[in-house]
Amino acid sequence: MTTSTSAPVTAPSKHAVAARTKGLRKEYGSTVAVDRVDLELPEGAVLGMLGPNGSGKTTTIRMLLGLVRPTQGEIELLGRRLPDGAEQVLPHVGALVEGPGFHPFLSGRENLVRCAAFEPLLPKKQIKQAVEDAIERVGLAQAAHRRYRGYSLGMKQRLGLAAALLVPRKLVVLDEPTNGLDPAGTREIRKIIADLHAAGSTVLVSSHLLSEVEATCTHVAVLHRGTVVAQGELTELLQAGGSALQVITPDVEKALSALRQAKISARPLGDGLRVELAGTSAPQVIETLVHGGAQVYEATRWKTGLEELFARLTEAEEAERGMSAVDTLDGGRR
Amino acid sequence: MITRQFGSEVRWMLRRPRTLIGLFGLILVPIIISFGIWTAGDDGGGGPGLAAIIEGNGMVVPIFTLFLSLNLLLPLVASIWAADGLAGEAQHGTLRGLLVAPVSRVRLLFVKLFGLTAMSLLAVTLMAVVGIIAGTAFLGSDGMATLSGTTLSTGEGLLRIGLFILLVTFQMVSIGAVALAVSSATEHPLVVQAATMVTIIVFQVLGQFSSLDWLHPFLITTGFPGLIDVMRDPIPLGQIGDSTLLAGCYLLIGTGLAAIRLVTKDS
Repeated sequence: MTTSTSAPVTAPSKHAVAARTKGLRKEYGSTVAVDRVDLELPEGAVLGMLGPNGSGKTTTIRMLLGLVRPTQGEIELLGRRLPDGAEQVLPHVGALVEGPGFHPFLSGRENLVRCAAFEPLLPKKQIKQAVEDAIERVGLAQAAHRRYRGYSLGMKQRLGLAAALLVPRKLVVLDEPTNGLDPAGTREIRKIIADLHAAGSTVLVSSHLLSEVEATCTHVAVLHRGTVVAQGELTELLQAGGSALQVITPDVEKALSALRQAKISARPLGDGLRVELAGTSAPQVIETLVHGGAQVYEATRWKTGLEELFARLTEAEEAERGMSAVDTLDGGRR
Repeated sequence: MITRQFGSEVRWMLRRPRTLIGLFGLILVPIIISFGIWTAGDDGGGGPGLAAIIEGNGMVVPIFTLFLSLNLLLPLVASIWAADGLAGEAQHGTLRGLLVAPVSRVRLLFVKLFGLTAMSLLAVTLMAVVGIIAGTAFLGSDGMATLSGTTLSTGEGLLRIGLFILLVTFQMVSIGAVALAVSSATEHPLVVQAATMVTIIVFQVLGQFSSLDWLHPFLITTGFPGLIDVMRDPIPLGQIGDSTLLAGCYLLIGTGLAAIRLVTKDS
């Protein structure tokens, strides 16, 4: 699986999907916010939606929740087409979109009670308990009686999360959930996401913090300039990007010529070389090196971090303008 | 479910500090009026219309208060509630939360309209009740004198006040419905209030020009003076009917526009 070819990378899953979009496009006046977004969110997955600021993450999420009407394209959420099925499926969806929104003159608890009053799945008698549970869950018990006006950014974020978790959800959508949180708060959010995952809920997290996504997600979708440039299982994507072997050897010249004869591409790097594993395998490479008379001290699988993958996906075509998928799309729009 | 949402809406409006301050301000109006007439009593007071019969006739105070307030104060209050209802919620990001809950957009409009109606009724009733009490306390009461020169029994006077409360509330809600339409199209509550007040004032100014006679039947403000017919005996229904019908048109148009805007709105 390569990631900078003409088509966005997709690793279709065999499982049921919690949400799926097809050819999603949204124009605001003459600006195109997102275009040709084909997103697939497998049931039970934790999908990290990555992208630089302004890449269309929030717009996509808002369309997915029926808040914004797409200019073009289809949305399927929990098996129903939007916007028609919104009333059936949205009760099962908890969302924190574009930062928490609450009334400043009400306390955190009162704000949640107001949210709860509009939750179709919450019987009136259970509202009180559900609110207390949600407050407890996000660690806001100390501040629940205080007015929202005086909340810190982290407390506001927690309250937003509490509102999303008022009812057991099939799908939880969190837009930049760790914004403004301290490291402890970030860990707690990770734990909440892990708990949701363990309980079988599907989670969609958008973030521009890569470590965040790497730590919590099973799947990744990378957005750039309003379109999906890569998506799939995190491990697969990382492997796809990292099929290389780092070899430590003092005999760089010998090694290179041996590899060249065997038609394996490699280049010097640090105290050794980096060997591309495309069309070959690690044992084969090492055999070639040893036969070529190069001393091999160490050979390690090159691990691409998400950061490297992300950088390649979102920066590569800036260098080679006009070549990449996204630029071609851009060109087509104008 | 919908009653729970209605309840939550009214509770939310009542929890707002500015609502409470506003209601407090509104009940000061009949008190000030009663006090003013009481202190001016010796000068003979009077004048045409209501002011002439109000002296020594506390039961007229609530009618007089509402009649005066309808020109500016009550539309302002209605516009504030309409502004907070949609534009204010959008500004705080809480509208998104409601829509994702989900509340269907049409239902959301009805919840807002209900809140507006309930609060308007509360405000108008409060003013009337305080008006009766203050009027009776300052000016005394012996039945209710009408503009036709007759005097109604206290019970019948209360009925007239009740009728006037309903008529004024309906005018207020109609103005609020148009304000809701503006509210659905912006994120700035102040825009809604300004637009509503400017409209009301411009309508009243336009109502002054006889060269614009053809326009007057379409201005909601033209209907306000006719409501005072509840103080005649027997009540002539012509003007009251016209005013109410006109307000009903505003209510329908306002609600319709708000619904169209809300349904297609990106939030």
